[in-house]
Amino acid sequence: MMSLEERRAQFTKYKQDVKDRGKPFYPFAMFHDTIMSLVVVSIIIALACVWYFTSGEDPNTCGGKDSCLLGPRYAEPADPGTTNFVPRPDWYFYFLFYLLRIFKWPNSVILGTVGIPTILLIILIMMPFLDLRRERRVLRRPVAVVAAILTVLSMGVLTYKGATAKEALASEVKAAVPQWAQKQGFTNNKEAVAGANAFATSGCTACHTYLGTGGGNLGAPDLSAEGTKGKGVQGLQTYISDPSKFGNNVMPKFASLGDTTLHQIATFLDASKGPK
Amino acid sequence: MAVSQRSGKSSRRRQMEAAMTYPIDWLEERSGLVGGIRYFLFRKVPGDTNWMQTLGSATLTAFIVQAITGVILAMYYKPDPNSAYQSIQHITNDVTLGWLVRGMHKWGASLFIILMFFHMARVFLFGAYKYPRELNWIVGVILLATGMMEGFTGYLLPWDQTAYWATVVGINLNGTAPILGPFLAQFLRGGAEIGPDTLSRFYSMHMLLIPGGLIGLIGLHLYLVVRLGVTSPPWSKDAAGMEATTNGAGPATNGRTGLTRPAARGTWRRNGGDAE
Repeated sequence: MMSLEERRAQFTKYKQDVKDRGKPFYPFAMFHDTIMSLVVVSIIIALACVWYFTSGEDPNTCGGKDSCLLGPRYAEPADPGTTNFVPRPDWYFYFLFYLLRIFKWPNSVILGTVGIPTILLIILIMMPFLDLRRERRVLRRPVAVVAAILTVLSMGVLTYKGATAKEALASEVKAAVPQWAQKQGFTNNKEAVAGANAFATSGCTACHTYLGTGGGNLGAPDLSAEGTKGKGVQGLQTYISDPSKFGNNVMPKFASLGDTTLHQIATFLDASKGPK
Repeated sequence: MAVSQRSGKSSRRRQMEAAMTYPIDWLEERSGLVGGIRYFLFRKVPGDTNWMQTLGSATLTAFIVQAITGVILAMYYKPDPNSAYQSIQHITNDVTLGWLVRGMHKWGASLFIILMFFHMARVFLFGAYKYPRELNWIVGVILLATGMMEGFTGYLLPWDQTAYWATVVGINLNGTAPILGPFLAQFLRGGAEIGPDTLSRFYSMHMLLIPGGLIGLIGLHLYLVVRLGVTSPPWSKDAAGMEATTNGAGPATNGRTGLTRPAARGTWRRNGGDAE
Protein backbone atom coordinates (compact mmCIF):
# COMPACT_ATOMS: atom_id res chain seq x y z
CA MET A 1 0.00 0.00 0.00
CA MET A 2 1.24 3.42 -0.89
CA SER A 3 0.76 6.69 0.86
CA LEU A 4 -1.70 9.15 -0.59
CA GLU A 5 1.14 11.42 -1.71
CA GLU A 6 2.77 8.56 -3.62
CA ARG A 7 -0.49 7.63 -5.27
CA ARG A 8 -1.07 11.23 -6.30
CA ALA A 9 2.46 11.48 -7.63
CA GLN A 10 1.96 8.31 -9.62
CA PHE A 11 -1.27 9.58 -11.12
CA THR A 12 0.38 12.88 -12.04
CA LYS A 13 3.13 10.84 -13.69
CA TYR A 14 0.46 8.84 -15.53
CA LYS A 15 -1.17 12.02 -16.83
CA GLN A 16 2.21 13.34 -17.95
CA ASP A 17 3.15 10.04 -19.64
CA VAL A 18 -0.14 9.93 -21.53
CA LYS A 19 0.33 13.54 -22.59
CA ASP A 20 3.91 12.91 -23.73
CA ARG A 21 3.71 9.46 -25.29
CA GLY A 22 0.02 8.67 -25.70
CA LYS A 23 -1.84 8.64 -28.97
CA PRO A 24 -5.08 10.47 -29.70
CA PHE A 25 -8.31 8.56 -29.07
CA TYR A 26 -9.41 9.39 -32.61
CA PRO A 27 -8.50 7.61 -34.83
CA PHE A 28 -6.38 5.02 -32.99
CA ALA A 29 -8.50 3.71 -30.12
CA MET A 30 -11.70 4.61 -31.91
CA PHE A 31 -10.73 2.36 -34.82
CA HIS A 32 -10.60 -0.66 -32.51
CA ASP A 33 -13.80 0.42 -30.77
CA THR A 34 -15.61 0.68 -34.09
CA ILE A 35 -14.54 -2.78 -35.23
CA MET A 36 -15.56 -4.29 -31.90
CA SER A 37 -18.93 -2.53 -32.05
CA LEU A 38 -19.53 -3.84 -35.56
CA VAL A 39 -18.76 -7.35 -34.33
CA VAL A 40 -21.26 -6.91 -31.48
CA VAL A 41 -24.03 -5.66 -33.79
CA SER A 42 -23.31 -8.52 -36.23
CA ILE A 43 -23.57 -11.10 -33.46
CA ILE A 44 -26.88 -9.61 -32.30
CA ILE A 45 -28.29 -9.69 -35.86
CA ALA A 46 -27.00 -13.23 -36.40
CA LEU A 47 -28.64 -14.45 -33.18
CA ALA A 48 -31.92 -12.76 -34.13
CA CYS A 49 -31.85 -14.44 -37.56
CA VAL A 50 -31.02 -17.91 -36.24
CA TRP A 51 -33.70 -17.54 -33.56
CA TYR A 52 -36.36 -16.44 -36.06
CA PHE A 53 -35.60 -18.85 -38.88
CA THR A 54 -35.38 -21.94 -36.68
CA SER A 55 -38.73 -21.28 -34.97
CA GLY A 56 -42.30 -20.95 -36.13
CA GLU A 57 -45.43 -18.89 -35.58
CA ASP A 58 -47.00 -21.52 -33.38
CA PRO A 59 -45.72 -21.33 -29.80
CA ASN A 60 -45.50 -25.13 -29.85
CA THR A 61 -43.31 -25.31 -32.95
CA CYS A 62 -40.37 -26.20 -30.83
CA GLY A 63 -42.29 -28.80 -28.87
CA GLY A 64 -39.81 -29.50 -26.12
CA LYS A 65 -37.77 -26.70 -24.68
CA ASP A 66 -34.58 -27.51 -26.57
CA SER A 67 -35.74 -28.60 -29.98
CA CYS A 68 -35.38 -25.14 -31.55
CA LEU A 69 -31.80 -23.95 -31.68
CA LEU A 70 -32.50 -20.74 -29.77
CA GLY A 71 -35.92 -21.48 -28.33
CA PRO A 72 -39.44 -20.60 -29.45
CA ARG A 73 -40.60 -17.12 -30.48
CA TYR A 74 -42.91 -17.06 -27.47
CA ALA A 75 -44.47 -19.57 -25.12
CA GLU A 76 -48.20 -20.12 -24.71
CA PRO A 77 -50.09 -16.99 -23.57
CA ALA A 78 -49.85 -16.25 -19.86
CA ASP A 79 -52.47 -18.13 -17.90
CA PRO A 80 -52.65 -17.47 -14.16
CA GLY A 81 -54.95 -20.51 -13.89
CA THR A 82 -52.29 -23.09 -14.77
CA THR A 83 -50.30 -24.45 -11.91
CA ASN A 84 -48.03 -26.95 -13.63
CA PHE A 85 -45.81 -24.47 -15.44
CA VAL A 86 -42.23 -24.56 -14.26
CA PRO A 87 -41.02 -21.01 -13.55
CA ARG A 88 -37.69 -20.25 -15.12
CA PRO A 89 -35.97 -16.85 -15.22
CA ASP A 90 -33.79 -15.47 -17.99
CA TRP A 91 -30.38 -17.15 -18.13
CA TYR A 92 -28.45 -14.47 -16.25
CA PHE A 93 -30.55 -15.15 -13.18
CA TYR A 94 -29.93 -18.92 -13.31
CA PHE A 95 -27.16 -18.67 -10.72
CA LEU A 96 -29.59 -17.09 -8.24
CA PHE A 97 -32.28 -19.55 -9.27
CA TYR A 98 -30.03 -22.49 -8.56
CA LEU A 99 -28.57 -20.95 -5.43
CA LEU A 100 -32.05 -21.28 -3.93
CA ARG A 101 -31.89 -25.04 -4.18
CA ILE A 102 -29.13 -25.01 -1.62
CA PHE A 103 -31.22 -23.23 1.00
CA LYS A 104 -34.37 -24.71 2.47
CA TRP A 105 -37.55 -22.97 3.40
CA PRO A 106 -38.26 -21.38 5.80
CA ASN A 107 -35.21 -20.99 8.00
CA SER A 108 -32.41 -20.20 5.61
CA VAL A 109 -34.16 -19.33 2.35
CA ILE A 110 -33.68 -15.61 2.99
CA LEU A 111 -29.93 -16.26 2.80
CA GLY A 112 -30.38 -17.42 -0.78
CA THR A 113 -32.93 -14.87 -1.93
CA VAL A 114 -31.53 -11.77 -0.29
CA GLY A 115 -28.55 -12.52 1.94
CA ILE A 116 -25.92 -13.84 -0.47
CA PRO A 117 -26.84 -11.56 -3.41
CA THR A 118 -26.72 -8.51 -1.13
CA ILE A 119 -23.39 -9.53 0.38
CA LEU A 120 -21.95 -10.15 -3.09
CA LEU A 121 -23.16 -6.76 -4.29
CA ILE A 122 -21.66 -5.00 -1.27
CA ILE A 123 -18.32 -6.78 -1.72
CA LEU A 124 -18.35 -5.84 -5.40
CA ILE A 125 -19.06 -2.17 -4.65
CA MET A 126 -16.45 -2.08 -1.89
CA MET A 127 -13.78 -3.73 -4.06
CA PRO A 128 -11.62 -0.60 -4.54
CA PHE A 129 -11.57 -0.07 -0.78
CA LEU A 130 -10.86 -3.69 0.10
CA ASP A 131 -7.94 -3.88 -2.31
CA LEU A 132 -5.83 -0.82 -1.55
CA ARG A 133 -2.54 -2.05 -2.96
CA ARG A 134 -1.24 -0.19 -5.93
CA GLU A 135 -0.08 -3.36 -7.70
CA ARG A 136 -1.96 -3.96 -10.93
CA ARG A 137 -0.06 -6.92 -12.42
CA VAL A 138 -2.16 -10.06 -12.25
CA LEU A 139 0.53 -12.45 -11.06
CA ARG A 140 1.38 -10.20 -8.15
CA ARG A 141 -2.23 -10.08 -6.92
CA PRO A 142 -2.72 -13.73 -5.87
CA VAL A 143 -5.63 -13.10 -3.49
CA ALA A 144 -7.57 -11.06 -6.04
CA VAL A 145 -6.91 -13.62 -8.78
CA VAL A 146 -7.94 -16.60 -6.67
CA ALA A 147 -11.09 -14.77 -5.53
CA ALA A 148 -11.92 -13.89 -9.12
CA ILE A 149 -11.38 -17.45 -10.37
CA LEU A 150 -13.52 -18.86 -7.55
CA THR A 151 -16.27 -16.33 -8.27
CA VAL A 152 -16.27 -17.04 -12.00
CA LEU A 153 -16.20 -20.80 -11.39
CA SER A 154 -19.04 -20.80 -8.88
CA MET A 155 -21.17 -18.46 -11.01
CA GLY A 156 -20.46 -20.67 -14.02
CA VAL A 157 -21.31 -23.90 -12.20
CA LEU A 158 -24.49 -22.41 -10.70
CA THR A 159 -25.56 -21.04 -14.10
CA TYR A 160 -24.86 -24.41 -15.74
CA LYS A 161 -26.71 -26.30 -13.03
CA GLY A 162 -29.62 -23.87 -13.29
CA ALA A 163 -29.70 -24.31 -17.06
CA THR A 164 -29.65 -28.08 -16.96
CA ALA A 165 -31.82 -28.53 -13.86
CA LYS A 166 -34.14 -31.37 -14.64
CA GLU A 167 -37.77 -30.48 -14.45
CA ALA A 168 -40.25 -33.08 -13.34
CA LEU A 169 -42.81 -33.66 -16.10
CA ALA A 170 -46.35 -34.17 -14.87
CA SER A 171 -46.69 -37.46 -16.78
CA GLU A 172 -43.47 -38.89 -15.32
CA VAL A 173 -44.41 -37.85 -11.83
CA LYS A 174 -47.86 -39.36 -12.19
CA ALA A 175 -46.32 -42.70 -13.12
CA ALA A 176 -44.61 -42.76 -9.73
CA VAL A 177 -47.87 -42.41 -7.76
CA PRO A 178 -48.57 -46.17 -7.24
CA GLN A 179 -45.02 -46.55 -5.95
CA TRP A 180 -45.55 -43.67 -3.50
CA ALA A 181 -48.81 -45.20 -2.28
CA GLN A 182 -47.05 -48.47 -1.66
CA LYS A 183 -44.07 -46.96 0.13
CA GLN A 184 -46.20 -44.66 2.26
CA GLY A 185 -48.90 -47.28 2.79
CA PHE A 186 -51.96 -45.33 1.63
CA THR A 187 -52.87 -47.60 -1.33
CA ASN A 188 -56.34 -48.19 0.12
CA ASN A 189 -57.01 -44.55 0.89
CA LYS A 190 -58.74 -43.44 -2.32
CA GLU A 191 -58.83 -39.80 -1.28
CA ALA A 192 -55.06 -39.83 -0.72
CA VAL A 193 -54.35 -41.56 -4.05
CA ALA A 194 -56.49 -38.99 -5.87
CA GLY A 195 -54.57 -36.32 -3.96
CA ALA A 196 -51.26 -37.86 -5.02
CA ASN A 197 -52.34 -37.68 -8.67
CA ALA A 198 -53.44 -34.06 -8.25
CA PHE A 199 -50.13 -33.35 -6.48
CA ALA A 200 -48.24 -34.88 -9.42
CA THR A 201 -50.08 -32.87 -12.08
CA SER A 202 -50.58 -29.50 -10.36
CA GLY A 203 -46.97 -28.43 -10.54
CA CYS A 204 -46.09 -29.05 -6.89
CA THR A 205 -43.02 -31.05 -7.96
CA ALA A 206 -41.71 -28.06 -9.94
CA CYS A 207 -40.38 -26.86 -6.61
CA HIS A 208 -40.95 -29.61 -4.02
CA THR A 209 -39.37 -33.03 -3.91
CA TYR A 210 -41.27 -36.12 -2.92
CA LEU A 211 -39.50 -39.46 -2.43
CA GLY A 212 -36.73 -38.38 -4.75
CA THR A 213 -38.95 -36.96 -7.50
CA GLY A 214 -39.25 -33.26 -8.20
CA GLY A 215 -37.35 -30.04 -8.54
CA GLY A 216 -36.16 -28.83 -5.16
CA ASN A 217 -36.37 -25.24 -6.45
CA LEU A 218 -36.64 -21.98 -4.55
CA GLY A 219 -35.91 -23.58 -1.21
CA ALA A 220 -39.11 -25.65 -1.24
CA PRO A 221 -38.88 -28.44 1.36
CA ASP A 222 -39.13 -32.17 0.73
CA LEU A 223 -42.69 -33.34 1.44
CA SER A 224 -42.09 -37.09 1.84
CA ALA A 225 -42.84 -36.91 5.57
CA GLU A 226 -45.08 -33.84 5.66
CA GLY A 227 -47.76 -35.81 7.50
CA THR A 228 -45.56 -36.19 10.57
CA LYS A 229 -45.51 -32.44 11.22
CA GLY A 230 -48.95 -32.47 12.79
CA LYS A 231 -50.60 -29.84 10.65
CA GLY A 232 -53.65 -32.01 10.02
CA VAL A 233 -55.67 -32.29 6.82
CA GLN A 234 -57.54 -29.04 7.44
CA GLY A 235 -54.37 -27.16 8.33
CA LEU A 236 -52.60 -28.39 5.22
CA GLN A 237 -55.55 -27.45 3.04
CA THR A 238 -55.67 -23.89 4.40
CA TYR A 239 -51.93 -23.61 3.95
CA ILE A 240 -51.86 -24.74 0.31
CA SER A 241 -54.84 -22.55 -0.49
CA ASP A 242 -52.97 -19.38 0.50
CA PRO A 243 -49.44 -19.84 1.92
CA SER A 244 -48.95 -16.08 2.29
CA LYS A 245 -51.31 -16.16 5.28
CA PHE A 246 -48.66 -18.21 7.04
CA GLY A 247 -45.86 -15.85 6.11
CA ASN A 248 -44.78 -17.90 3.09
CA ASN A 249 -44.53 -15.41 0.24
CA VAL A 250 -42.54 -17.64 -2.09
CA MET A 251 -45.08 -20.39 -2.68
CA PRO A 252 -47.97 -19.28 -4.90
CA LYS A 253 -51.62 -19.57 -3.92
CA PHE A 254 -53.31 -22.75 -5.02
CA ALA A 255 -56.87 -21.77 -4.08
CA SER A 256 -57.78 -21.97 -7.79
CA LEU A 257 -57.54 -25.78 -7.64
CA GLY A 258 -60.86 -25.87 -5.81
CA ASP A 259 -61.74 -27.21 -2.38
CA THR A 260 -62.26 -30.81 -3.52
CA THR A 261 -58.80 -31.12 -5.05
CA LEU A 262 -57.18 -29.19 -2.21
CA HIS A 263 -58.77 -31.55 0.29
CA GLN A 264 -57.46 -34.55 -1.66
CA ILE A 265 -53.94 -33.12 -1.77
CA ALA A 266 -54.08 -32.29 1.93
CA THR A 267 -55.24 -35.87 2.71
CA PHE A 268 -52.39 -37.22 0.59
CA LEU A 269 -49.82 -35.07 2.38
CA ASP A 270 -51.25 -35.97 5.75
CA ALA A 271 -50.93 -39.64 4.82
CA SER A 272 -47.25 -39.11 3.91
CA LYS A 273 -45.47 -40.23 7.05
CA GLY A 274 -42.17 -40.95 5.38
CA PRO A 275 -41.18 -44.14 3.53
CA LYS A 276 -41.63 -47.39 5.38
CA MET B 1 -1.33 43.30 -60.35
CA ALA B 2 -0.19 39.77 -59.82
CA VAL B 3 0.03 40.31 -56.12
CA SER B 4 -3.46 41.75 -55.86
CA GLN B 5 -4.89 38.91 -58.01
CA ARG B 6 -3.34 36.34 -55.79
CA SER B 7 -4.52 38.07 -52.65
CA GLY B 8 -8.00 38.35 -54.19
CA LYS B 9 -8.16 34.58 -54.73
CA SER B 10 -6.95 33.82 -51.26
CA SER B 11 -9.38 36.27 -49.76
CA ARG B 12 -12.25 34.56 -51.64
CA ARG B 13 -11.01 31.25 -50.34
CA ARG B 14 -10.83 32.74 -46.90
CA GLN B 15 -14.41 33.91 -47.29
CA MET B 16 -15.53 30.43 -48.36
CA GLU B 17 -13.71 28.82 -45.49
CA ALA B 18 -15.24 31.30 -43.09
CA ALA B 19 -18.71 30.53 -44.52
CA MET B 20 -18.12 26.82 -44.10
CA THR B 21 -16.86 27.06 -40.55
CA TYR B 22 -19.44 29.70 -39.61
CA PRO B 23 -22.04 27.23 -38.25
CA ILE B 24 -19.36 25.44 -36.26
CA ASP B 25 -18.01 28.71 -34.89
CA TRP B 26 -21.56 29.85 -34.14
CA LEU B 27 -22.25 26.69 -32.16
CA GLU B 28 -18.89 26.79 -30.40
CA GLU B 29 -19.29 30.43 -29.37
CA ARG B 30 -22.71 29.78 -27.86
CA SER B 31 -22.20 26.31 -26.33
CA GLY B 32 -18.57 25.25 -26.23
CA LEU B 33 -19.80 21.88 -27.53
CA VAL B 34 -17.37 21.76 -30.46
CA GLY B 35 -14.44 22.18 -28.13
CA GLY B 36 -15.90 19.48 -25.89
CA ILE B 37 -16.27 17.02 -28.76
CA ARG B 38 -12.80 17.90 -30.02
CA TYR B 39 -11.41 17.29 -26.55
CA PHE B 40 -13.21 13.94 -26.37
CA LEU B 41 -11.97 12.80 -29.76
CA PHE B 42 -8.40 14.05 -29.64
CA ARG B 43 -7.64 13.42 -25.96
CA LYS B 44 -4.59 11.22 -25.53
CA VAL B 45 -4.90 7.62 -24.46
CA PRO B 46 -1.92 5.43 -23.49
CA GLY B 47 -0.13 4.13 -26.58
CA ASP B 48 -0.41 0.53 -25.40
CA THR B 49 -4.20 0.25 -25.05
CA ASN B 50 -5.40 -3.24 -25.71
CA TRP B 51 -8.24 -4.90 -27.65
CA MET B 52 -9.79 -5.87 -24.32
CA GLN B 53 -10.29 -2.17 -23.68
CA THR B 54 -12.92 -2.01 -26.42
CA LEU B 55 -15.39 -3.97 -24.26
CA GLY B 56 -16.74 -0.83 -22.60
CA SER B 57 -17.62 0.84 -25.88
CA ALA B 58 -18.99 -2.49 -27.15
CA THR B 59 -21.32 -2.53 -24.14
CA LEU B 60 -22.40 1.01 -25.00
CA THR B 61 -23.10 -0.14 -28.56
CA ALA B 62 -25.27 -2.98 -27.26
CA PHE B 63 -27.13 -0.45 -25.11
CA ILE B 64 -27.71 1.81 -28.13
CA VAL B 65 -29.04 -1.20 -30.08
CA GLN B 66 -31.44 -1.85 -27.18
CA ALA B 67 -32.53 1.79 -27.12
CA ILE B 68 -33.24 1.97 -30.86
CA THR B 69 -34.98 -1.41 -31.15
CA GLY B 70 -36.86 -0.67 -27.92
CA VAL B 71 -38.27 2.58 -29.30
CA ILE B 72 -39.46 0.75 -32.43
CA LEU B 73 -41.01 -2.08 -30.38
CA ALA B 74 -42.84 0.47 -28.21
CA MET B 75 -44.59 1.75 -31.36
CA TYR B 76 -46.31 -1.63 -31.79
CA TYR B 77 -46.41 -3.15 -28.31
CA LYS B 78 -49.56 -2.84 -26.17
CA PRO B 79 -48.95 -3.06 -22.41
CA ASP B 80 -52.29 -4.62 -21.56
CA PRO B 81 -52.82 -8.28 -20.57
CA ASN B 82 -55.61 -8.66 -23.13
CA SER B 83 -53.54 -7.54 -26.09
CA ALA B 84 -49.86 -7.77 -25.07
CA TYR B 85 -49.40 -11.34 -26.29
CA GLN B 86 -51.21 -10.66 -29.58
CA SER B 87 -49.12 -7.53 -30.15
CA ILE B 88 -45.95 -9.58 -29.63
CA GLN B 89 -47.21 -12.16 -32.14
CA HIS B 90 -48.11 -9.33 -34.53
CA ILE B 91 -44.65 -7.76 -34.22
CA THR B 92 -42.89 -11.09 -34.71
CA ASN B 93 -44.99 -12.51 -37.54
CA ASP B 94 -46.66 -9.64 -39.42
CA VAL B 95 -44.82 -6.32 -39.09
CA THR B 96 -42.15 -5.81 -41.77
CA LEU B 97 -38.82 -6.78 -40.20
CA GLY B 98 -40.60 -6.82 -36.84
CA TRP B 99 -39.01 -10.19 -36.15
CA LEU B 100 -35.57 -8.65 -36.66
CA VAL B 101 -36.26 -5.73 -34.31
CA ARG B 102 -37.70 -7.98 -31.63
CA GLY B 103 -35.00 -10.60 -32.15
CA MET B 104 -32.29 -7.97 -31.83
CA HIS B 105 -33.90 -6.58 -28.67
CA LYS B 106 -34.26 -10.06 -27.18
CA TRP B 107 -30.73 -11.21 -27.96
CA GLY B 108 -29.18 -7.78 -27.56
CA ALA B 109 -30.30 -7.88 -23.93
CA SER B 110 -28.28 -11.04 -23.32
CA LEU B 111 -25.27 -9.62 -25.12
CA PHE B 112 -25.54 -6.39 -23.13
CA ILE B 113 -25.38 -8.38 -19.88
CA ILE B 114 -22.52 -10.59 -21.11
CA LEU B 115 -20.53 -7.57 -22.27
CA MET B 116 -21.05 -5.83 -18.93
CA PHE B 117 -19.59 -8.90 -17.18
CA PHE B 118 -16.67 -9.10 -19.65
CA HIS B 119 -15.99 -5.39 -19.28
CA MET B 120 -16.02 -5.75 -15.52
CA ALA B 121 -13.65 -8.73 -15.74
CA ARG B 122 -11.28 -6.64 -17.87
CA VAL B 123 -11.33 -3.76 -15.38
CA PHE B 124 -10.67 -6.25 -12.59
CA LEU B 125 -7.84 -7.94 -14.48
CA PHE B 126 -6.19 -4.59 -15.20
CA GLY B 127 -6.63 -3.44 -11.60
CA ALA B 128 -8.23 -0.39 -13.17
CA TYR B 129 -10.61 0.11 -10.24
CA LYS B 130 -7.78 1.41 -8.06
CA TYR B 131 -7.01 5.01 -7.15
CA PRO B 132 -8.27 7.36 -8.51
CA ARG B 133 -10.93 5.35 -10.37
CA GLU B 134 -12.80 3.88 -7.36
CA LEU B 135 -15.92 5.94 -8.02
CA ASN B 136 -16.16 4.77 -11.60
CA TRP B 137 -16.02 1.13 -10.47
CA ILE B 138 -18.94 1.82 -8.11
CA VAL B 139 -20.91 3.49 -10.92
CA GLY B 140 -20.15 0.42 -13.04
CA VAL B 141 -21.45 -2.01 -10.41
CA ILE B 142 -24.64 0.07 -10.11
CA LEU B 143 -24.92 -0.02 -13.91
CA LEU B 144 -24.63 -3.82 -13.81
CA ALA B 145 -27.37 -4.13 -11.18
CA THR B 146 -29.58 -1.63 -13.03
CA GLY B 147 -29.00 -3.46 -16.30
CA MET B 148 -30.13 -6.71 -14.70
CA MET B 149 -33.24 -4.95 -13.38
CA GLU B 150 -33.91 -3.86 -16.94
CA GLY B 151 -33.69 -7.52 -17.94
CA PHE B 152 -36.06 -8.58 -15.17
CA THR B 153 -38.74 -5.98 -16.04
CA GLY B 154 -38.46 -6.65 -19.77
CA TYR B 155 -38.90 -10.39 -19.33
CA LEU B 156 -42.57 -9.98 -18.33
CA LEU B 157 -43.63 -7.91 -21.33
CA PRO B 158 -44.33 -10.72 -23.88
CA TRP B 159 -46.95 -11.89 -21.35
CA ASP B 160 -46.48 -15.55 -22.17
CA GLN B 161 -46.25 -18.42 -19.70
CA THR B 162 -42.46 -18.16 -19.36
CA ALA B 163 -42.70 -14.44 -18.71
CA TYR B 164 -45.62 -14.66 -16.32
CA TRP B 165 -44.34 -17.43 -14.09
CA ALA B 166 -40.77 -16.20 -13.97
CA THR B 167 -42.11 -12.86 -12.79
CA VAL B 168 -44.46 -14.43 -10.23
CA VAL B 169 -41.49 -16.21 -8.70
CA GLY B 170 -39.19 -13.21 -9.08
CA ILE B 171 -41.59 -10.92 -7.25
CA ASN B 172 -42.19 -13.52 -4.54
CA LEU B 173 -38.44 -13.81 -4.02
CA ASN B 174 -38.15 -10.04 -3.66
CA GLY B 175 -40.92 -10.35 -1.10
CA THR B 176 -38.77 -12.51 1.20
CA ALA B 177 -36.41 -9.63 1.95
CA PRO B 178 -36.68 -8.51 5.56
CA ILE B 179 -38.71 -5.35 6.30
CA LEU B 180 -38.67 -3.85 2.78
CA GLY B 181 -39.50 -7.09 0.95
CA PRO B 182 -43.30 -7.13 1.26
CA PHE B 183 -43.49 -3.45 0.29
CA LEU B 184 -41.26 -4.02 -2.70
CA ALA B 185 -43.33 -7.00 -3.83
CA GLN B 186 -46.53 -4.98 -3.39
CA PHE B 187 -45.04 -2.10 -5.36
CA LEU B 188 -43.87 -4.34 -8.21
CA ARG B 189 -47.24 -6.07 -8.47
CA GLY B 190 -49.23 -2.85 -8.17
CA GLY B 191 -51.63 -4.68 -5.88
CA ALA B 192 -52.12 -8.01 -4.20
CA GLU B 193 -52.05 -10.04 -7.42
CA ILE B 194 -50.15 -9.92 -10.70
CA GLY B 195 -52.47 -8.37 -13.26
CA PRO B 196 -52.97 -5.43 -15.65
CA ASP B 197 -51.37 -3.00 -13.21
CA THR B 198 -48.28 -5.16 -12.93
CA LEU B 199 -47.81 -5.21 -16.70
CA SER B 200 -48.19 -1.45 -17.20
CA ARG B 201 -45.97 -0.86 -14.18
CA PHE B 202 -43.21 -3.12 -15.55
CA TYR B 203 -43.62 -1.47 -18.96
CA SER B 204 -43.21 2.00 -17.46
CA MET B 205 -40.15 0.92 -15.44
CA HIS B 206 -38.67 -0.94 -18.38
CA MET B 207 -38.90 1.92 -20.85
CA LEU B 208 -38.85 5.08 -18.75
CA LEU B 209 -37.52 4.76 -15.23
CA ILE B 210 -34.68 2.25 -15.61
CA PRO B 211 -33.39 3.38 -19.05
CA GLY B 212 -33.47 6.98 -17.79
CA GLY B 213 -31.32 5.91 -14.87
CA LEU B 214 -29.04 3.89 -17.13
CA ILE B 215 -28.48 6.83 -19.49
CA GLY B 216 -27.62 9.13 -16.59
CA LEU B 217 -25.24 6.57 -15.09
CA ILE B 218 -23.62 5.86 -18.46
CA GLY B 219 -23.06 9.61 -18.88
CA LEU B 220 -21.38 9.80 -15.47
CA HIS B 221 -19.35 6.65 -16.26
CA LEU B 222 -18.07 8.13 -19.53
CA TYR B 223 -17.37 11.52 -17.95
CA LEU B 224 -15.17 9.80 -15.37
CA VAL B 225 -13.41 7.74 -18.05
CA VAL B 226 -12.55 10.88 -20.00
CA ARG B 227 -11.56 12.82 -16.90
CA LEU B 228 -9.37 10.14 -15.33
CA GLY B 229 -8.04 8.53 -18.49
CA VAL B 230 -7.67 4.93 -19.60
CA THR B 231 -5.21 2.63 -17.84
CA SER B 232 -2.32 0.94 -19.60
CA PRO B 233 -2.36 -2.85 -19.51
CA PRO B 234 -0.55 -3.78 -16.27
CA TRP B 235 1.88 -6.09 -18.07
CA SER B 236 2.91 -3.42 -20.52
CA LYS B 237 6.62 -2.66 -20.44
CA ASP B 238 5.68 0.89 -21.26
CA ALA B 239 2.70 1.46 -18.97
CA ALA B 240 1.86 5.10 -18.42
CA GLY B 241 2.66 6.27 -14.89
CA MET B 242 4.73 3.20 -14.14
CA GLU B 243 8.09 4.48 -13.00
CA ALA B 244 6.80 7.15 -10.69
CA THR B 245 8.26 5.54 -7.58
CA THR B 246 11.60 4.56 -9.06
CA ASN B 247 12.12 8.05 -10.31
CA GLY B 248 14.11 10.39 -8.09
CA ALA B 249 15.68 9.76 -4.73
CA GLY B 250 12.98 7.55 -3.22
CA PRO B 251 13.48 3.81 -2.74
CA ALA B 252 12.76 1.68 -5.80
CA THR B 253 9.63 -0.07 -4.50
CA ASN B 254 9.00 -1.95 -7.72
CA GLY B 255 12.60 -2.39 -8.74
CA ARG B 256 12.06 -6.15 -8.73
CA THR B 257 10.31 -5.90 -12.09
CA GLY B 258 13.64 -5.41 -13.77
CA LEU B 259 12.14 -2.86 -16.12
CA THR B 260 14.69 -0.14 -16.09
CA ARG B 261 13.71 3.28 -17.16
CA PRO B 262 16.06 3.71 -20.14
CA ALA B 263 15.04 0.38 -21.65
CA ALA B 264 11.36 1.20 -21.34
CA ARG B 265 11.91 4.56 -22.96
CA GLY B 266 13.87 3.01 -25.79
CA THR B 267 11.13 0.46 -26.48
CA TRP B 268 8.61 3.22 -26.64
CA ARG B 269 10.63 5.27 -29.11
CA ARG B 270 10.96 2.30 -31.44
CA ASN B 271 7.34 1.15 -31.28
CA GLY B 272 5.36 4.26 -30.55
CA GLY B 273 7.18 6.85 -32.60
CA ASP B 274 5.14 6.26 -35.74
CA ALA B 275 1.87 6.47 -33.82
CA GLU B 276 2.39 10.12 -33.17
